[in-house]
Amino acid sequence: MTTTLEHTKTASIPQGGGLARRQNFLTGLIGGAIFAWLFWFLAHHFLDATSRTWSDEVAASVTLGWIIGFWLGIGALNAPGRWLIGKNNTRADDLYLAGQGQGKSRYWKFTTDHKVVGVQYIIMTMVLLGSGGILAMAIRTELIVPGNHFVNQQVYNGFIAVHGMLMILALIVAVAGPWGNFVMPIMCGARDMAFPRLNALSLWTLVGAAALLLTTLAVGSLTMGWVVLEPIANQAGVGMDFFAMAIIVFTVSTTVAGVNTICTVLTMRTKGMTLSRLPIFVWGAIIAAALGLYAFPYFSLVEAMTLMDRTFSTSFFVANAGGEGWLQANLFWLMGHPEVYVILLPAVAALFEIAAVMSRKPVFSYRTAVAGMTGLAGLSILVWAHHMFTTGWAPTLGGPFMLTTELISIPTGLFFLVLIGTLWRGNIWMKLPTVWMFGFIANFIIAGVTGIYLSDIPLDDQLHGTMFVTAHFHYVFVGSVLFGAVAALAFWFPKVTGRYLNEFLGRISFWLVFIGVQVTFLAMFASGLKGMPRRYSSYALIFEHTNFITTIGAYIIMAGMLVLLGAVITSWNKGEPSGPNPWHANSLEWLVPTPPPLENFDVLPVITEDPYNYGEELVRS
Amino acid sequence: MSIDTESEHAAHGGHDDGHHEPPEVVDGRQKMGVWLFIGGDMIGLSAILFTFLYLRGVNTDGHWMSMWGYTGHPYSYYYNILDVKGGSIPNATLIKVGPLSAGLNWFVTVLTVLSAGIIWMAERGLRATKNVKSYTTMAGIATAVTILSIVYGIIQLQHIPQIFTAHNDSLTMAYTAYDSAMMAVDGSVVIHLFILAFLGLGLTIRSARGVINGTKWYQARLVRLFWVWVAISSVIASLVTTTVNTIH
Ligand code: HEM
Ligand SMILES: [Cu+2]
Repeated sequence: MTTTLEHTKTASIPQGGGLARRQNFLTGLIGGAIFAWLFWFLAHHFLDATSRTWSDEVAASVTLGWIIGFWLGIGALNAPGRWLIGKNNTRADDLYLAGQGQGKSRYWKFTTDHKVVGVQYIIMTMVLLGSGGILAMAIRTELIVPGNHFVNQQVYNGFIAVHGMLMILALIVAVAGPWGNFVMPIMCGARDMAFPRLNALSLWTLVGAAALLLTTLAVGSLTMGWVVLEPIANQAGVGMDFFAMAIIVFTVSTTVAGVNTICTVLTMRTKGMTLSRLPIFVWGAIIAAALGLYAFPYFSLVEAMTLMDRTFSTSFFVANAGGEGWLQANLFWLMGHPEVYVILLPAVAALFEIAAVMSRKPVFSYRTAVAGMTGLAGLSILVWAHHMFTTGWAPTLGGPFMLTTELISIPTGLFFLVLIGTLWRGNIWMKLPTVWMFGFIANFIIAGVTGIYLSDIPLDDQLHGTMFVTAHFHYVFVGSVLFGAVAALAFWFPKVTGRYLNEFLGRISFWLVFIGVQVTFLAMFASGLKGMPRRYSSYALIFEHTNFITTIGAYIIMAGMLVLLGAVITSWNKGEPSGPNPWHANSLEWLVPTPPPLENFDVLPVITEDPYNYGEELVRS
Repeated sequence: MSIDTESEHAAHGGHDDGHHEPPEVVDGRQKMGVWLFIGGDMIGLSAILFTFLYLRGVNTDGHWMSMWGYTGHPYSYYYNILDVKGGSIPNATLIKVGPLSAGLNWFVTVLTVLSAGIIWMAERGLRATKNVKSYTTMAGIATAVTILSIVYGIIQLQHIPQIFTAHNDSLTMAYTAYDSAMMAVDGSVVIHLFILAFLGLGLTIRSARGVINGTKWYQARLVRLFWVWVAISSVIASLVTTTVNTIH
């Protein structure tokens, strides 16, 4: 198990190959720019000869040109092209694509090695969180006192929408991206993901989508939050076209990633790795992937129809031509609620894993954990209309949707049971991952309980559209998912870098973010309870104090996240060496060398037991 | 996790350097991948048909197949009154649209089913007789039929009528709810047909170059799976949109 693949360590770059081997992120950007310009030129001449300013047709064409050019430039379309003309990759081609012998430059390429993709996802998550975070600070700074100071409502709307969407993207990939790629295949005993090229495709497609999303801010404002409800979406500027296309492109990325994850787990497990011996994180990853596969088609469809309404004058959501705004809301939330669990599940599953290892106990009631996650996924597709309680759509369905929504607290409760049960009377090792896990437990209780408030229709009539809702889901996303993601980062960081994430800085960061979350979002609950509406750049005087406190809290969170960033950067090359298995864990990713060699295993292992039998040997002997 | 190191070597017979998996294993994995993509596509199709049936069901203001707009004059006529002369345009009339040609719709579907049948027969022939030449020919024919169905699919899209209507005091072209939904259904069919044309061309070229042959026919089967699904989805879409479209 500890033998390394010598030939991959010393290997030189495989020979052969032509121009394709020069492709990287930069050529992707150049390709994207050229094609964006080309499509702009063509659209301007053929679709829109009359108008001088940007029209929606032109904007939509530019976004299409961008993504095609980016794909071409970075080499994402090489494989389909070669397939078409009847060529197959040689083993040398595949090794080259996997990054063999290319040092750091492989991180800037269409590299297929799942560990490279995992690291790219870490960086991508940080980029998304960073840019979304800058917008969050801009929003909170604007809201520190009543009145408009820095931005007007129009610009503010754009900030809200792009902040929201960036963070949604960031959290969808925050755990599943890095660890679903870096460690999950090794956990299963696989040499790579099922479809390595699709894996690279999903990562770089996410990059292309993120670029479109950021461009939204530059080309024109949005008029609404991340849900971009109709008919307001129809009235927005060309930024809306970029926004919609960013989402369509993003769904390509998630679909491809989801198929890849499921196939990897179902078909690439090594001998003896039965489903019930899988580390629990793998279950979380696969259930989230399946849920994403269900949910994201709605997302691309609803955004495609928004684009069509704006560019081809269709009337899906235009009421005076037979369309209906509620249709948009339905399609959006058919995706939207499952999607929040696509975000949550990998983080929860990672925490199950961490809880077991750090308390030296098996996952408490493994089957309950799997059932809870599956149940949550199943239930989550039946609750979408709780986002539409106050819209007037189908009031008779309010009761049933209230029931399904409140049922959600059963599987959610199981999560607490599993986590606490695992920790119960364990020999808890208080290291950085454990610390962040406890933060999750505290915050997720508040998040879940306030969700139950909101599912109660009479109460939701009062609270819908207020900052209370905003505080609810920020307790989920920041207080819970982000904490889970940082715990996972601290836990698997040594596997990626061979070094610990700095414990001291990590703890300072923890306390800043933890306190910051309470200050920010408890005060935000108060604003909401007093009736402050969401998505306004200014507010009445009665909301003054709570907003001031919220903004202070936001700055504390920011300080904490910057400390975390500092910890990641300093620990990456200079942190304390950890050895291959710092947590003395039993699952496969810890039994391979650090960093794991290309293709992970010299000889595939054969599994004879589940990964959680800590101390059982002692008892038996 | 406990690892049985002895059977590890026994199972593998020592060092396996190339890490080659048997083709059946790779094939099974790819088949599952195709099935999962088809699963996602099924959600997409059902969402599109849901849209169609939903809009028909709610029939907002009775406008499923009608819209207030203008006919009788070319666009420039109204444009002149409104924008150049600054005047107000005459009252709009209720313009009704009928269902689109079911014949054309089914024609595209039948072509798709035909191409799926050809690609399936071709594969069966290849596996039974190992005759690559006839496979190449049939894959080429299936591709040609697909291209033909793309042409008719686009003609079908162009037949969807637009209506001049006034929106926020400017004249725009618009589609009724029914026509919008048909744009989505037919547009999605055409996009799928483009994918089939690409795949069919690939099969033709690859089998002509011998990459696909009597023993290596896995990719032919993978493509066929998707192809048959597209044909089935096209039949479902035609069934729904040509039988329940008007409101009585
Ligand atoms: C016990 C569990 C939960 C229940 C019962 C619940 C219930 C609700 C309800 C009823 C709303 C609609 C409020 C309104 O707009 O008036 C809502 C909003 C929201 N919830 Fe939850 N929730 C729960 C957990 C979660 C979790 C785990 C997540 C994320 C992983 C989440 C994310 C959101 C988001 C993003 C929104 C707001 C969407 C928006 O309007 O922008 N919730 N929740
Ligand atoms: Cu929800």
